[in-house]
Amino acid sequence: MKRREFLKTSAIGTMAMSLPLSRWQLFAQVNELPQAVIVRNGEPESLVSAAMKALGGIERFVQRGDKVLLKPNMAWDRGPAYAANTNPEVVAAITRLCLNAGATEVKVLDRTCNEPRRCYRNSGINDAATAAGANVVQVRSNRYEDLELKGEVLDSWPIYKDYLEADKVINIPIAKHHGMAKVSLGLKNLMGVMGGRRGLIHVKFADKMADITQHIMPTLTVIDAYRMLMDNGPSGGDLDDVRMERAMIASPCTVSADVLGLELFGHAVSDIKQIDVAVKRGLALYDTTNLNVERIDLG
Amino acid sequence: MNFSMSMQNLRKLVQVAFFILFIYLFLVARYPYEIIMGSDFGLRLSPLIPLFTFIDTLSIPPLVIPGLIILILTPFLGRFFCSWICPLGTCLDATDKLINTPKNKLARSWDRWRYLKFANLIALIIMAVLSLNLWGYLDPLSIFNRMLTVILYPLATLFSENLLIALSSISFLETPAYYLYDLFKDNMMPEGQAYYQQVLLISVFSGGILAAEKLSRRFWCRYVCPAGALLGFLSQFRFYERLVGEECPACNLCISECKMDAIPQDDVSRTNKVECIECFNCGAACPPKTKAITYRWSWKPYHTELDLSRRQVLGGMLTGLGGLGLLSLGLPNRNHARHLIRPPGSLAESEFEDKCIRCLECVRICESNGGCLQPDAFHSSLTQLWLPAAQMRTGYCEYNCNLCAEVCPTDAIKPIALDEKQAWVMGTAYFREDLCIPFARDEDCIVCEEHCPTPEKAIKFETKDVELPHGEVRALKLPYLEPELCIGCGICEFKCPLDGEAGIFVTKPADPQEDATYYG
Repeated sequence: MKRREFLKTSAIGTMAMSLPLSRWQLFAQVNELPQAVIVRNGEPESLVSAAMKALGGIERFVQRGDKVLLKPNMAWDRGPAYAANTNPEVVAAITRLCLNAGATEVKVLDRTCNEPRRCYRNSGINDAATAAGANVVQVRSNRYEDLELKGEVLDSWPIYKDYLEADKVINIPIAKHHGMAKVSLGLKNLMGVMGGRRGLIHVKFADKMADITQHIMPTLTVIDAYRMLMDNGPSGGDLDDVRMERAMIASPCTVSADVLGLELFGHAVSDIKQIDVAVKRGLALYDTTNLNVERIDLG
Repeated sequence: MNFSMSMQNLRKLVQVAFFILFIYLFLVARYPYEIIMGSDFGLRLSPLIPLFTFIDTLSIPPLVIPGLIILILTPFLGRFFCSWICPLGTCLDATDKLINTPKNKLARSWDRWRYLKFANLIALIIMAVLSLNLWGYLDPLSIFNRMLTVILYPLATLFSENLLIALSSISFLETPAYYLYDLFKDNMMPEGQAYYQQVLLISVFSGGILAAEKLSRRFWCRYVCPAGALLGFLSQFRFYERLVGEECPACNLCISECKMDAIPQDDVSRTNKVECIECFNCGAACPPKTKAITYRWSWKPYHTELDLSRRQVLGGMLTGLGGLGLLSLGLPNRNHARHLIRPPGSLAESEFEDKCIRCLECVRICESNGGCLQPDAFHSSLTQLWLPAAQMRTGYCEYNCNLCAEVCPTDAIKPIALDEKQAWVMGTAYFREDLCIPFARDEDCIVCEEHCPTPEKAIKFETKDVELPHGEVRALKLPYLEPELCIGCGICEFKCPLDGEAGIFVTKPADPQEDATYYG
């Protein structure tokens, strides 16, 4: 609940009252900070630090004592070079930032498509994030909670409990091609905390996604575009389909991050139904047609 | 502690150690399979593997070495395998303690059935010579592994998983319960609970073997086991003998303690070498005051005759022939071809049936991967029972996994490299447009396309404007298959979100040579 209130009130929430003086200054600055940031020509670690710095530092999102959940994409039994999963170094770098900001726990999880242990291990995320101090945990079938949605097509859907209970959630998708959804970015990545028979979400996909995601928006979305999968997504498997983009997008608003992410693919918002519907149904925190974007080139 | 006491204790120690080794080898047969000793090593200790591999191939490949060592030691040591190593034997000994097995004196009416194990062996050899290998069904190590895979392990995970989840709902136990749960999941249990078809038949089969302990001790080993028969045959002239001293008052305690009832009632000084499994119970039973029993090497051993008449040999041979005939009279049914999807790397179907001992080790390791392998049922032949079969609605073949081949003890599944496996065609997918959501319900889906693992997806789609019944035109993504790219891994069938039957299914590619019986 903390997270959602925080988002809705954007900066000047009631929480601010309980914060130390230095925080007041930060919140005063928030309106001047960019709504989204795109960093280019960096390495995983430098992309993360540049993006976080531009957004006002990780301390803007993660406070001392927070339990943070990272949701990378590690759904596939593929190595990092195939760009089917989030870059492990990105997850490790964000883990370190969160711990330095005073997070008491950084949990990393994803509901996978291939056998879970294989995905965790071969994505490289298990080892990299564990070494960085994260608690990489397997998803357990008994830990889903039916979330009441009252949506347009869905009344409820099971969502992973740890995700709902975390103080802060950082959504770390990889930018990639997707046959059915055309692209897989921040919104699509949230399917990794959804329970039930996820295949059925594909039927009336855009509406169902909007119904669910409006209730589970993360604190922060960091799109890893260090490598991008340009075809045969989301599972990939052909190195020729991988493009070295060396970029990263970050925003407190998932929909805005996704809209910005479409630049990398050269798609218009109207081409990508799930993002288009999300914008039309007001799931974005900002005006996506007129985003205040900071563009950084590290090259 | 005197010598014979310690021999019994040594035997018990080794027996427990081997049992733990077998359980360990079973448990490590899971992803990631990074161990020093292959899980197939344990199964290769079976003394039947060298014999029947030789009959089948007229060669002695390296994989038979563990079993061969047992065979070579047997003429010297006797049937030590049965009480020192065989994990099924250990299970039977444990069952004895639970179900109050009858004393030897009371079980003697079964004794005329001792020939049965030899007849079994003869029948299996006759069938094998005529190229039907069914001995795997009766191989004790195979039986043990089958029991572990299909019954004991799933039961253990079911109970421990549910227990720990129940405990985790008690507030102060939540942390330790989840800790144990994660520990178990990471090191023992599969990510998902293991469920197997054929639970009933395999329970009846292996449960029957255990329950037979109610008839006599080591009933299976005395009367049925073909491995016991082979080892017994080899130990007729066993060099290691039991010696009974003059001081023996013939109290007959050793007779009643003998696991195999291998000490003749009329002559305590002799041992039935064919039946004795070297458990050393006799020496331990001998009262401390007398201690008449000792053991020693003898280079002029006496001979024990096999409990087998010419008529019974003939009977065994005829049973073998008859069995061969009957089992070959299955009704081939081409509709069942789709059930015959064997693991990647498998030999051609008829050869595979001969080599596979139905130990289900591949099924076991598959559980920690895609989980498609199941013990097969009867389809168009009785001999298909418990062969591994990929059933794509219960699991799928994981693209980056070739572990089933690595654990096969008889190389019925050839150990193939990962890149070879990834190109191995297990089957081919077919769409069922009467069920498939985009075709049958005019909605987007293509979950199959999403999961298709080949570098260039074998499932592709085209976007078409489809006019719905009430006039609306909808752009739909309609999937189609490129058969030459499909390897039949079945993830499409497994992930299809439809209830019941999937909108896409994998079937085995036709083998024109095996279809020779059909017109056409």
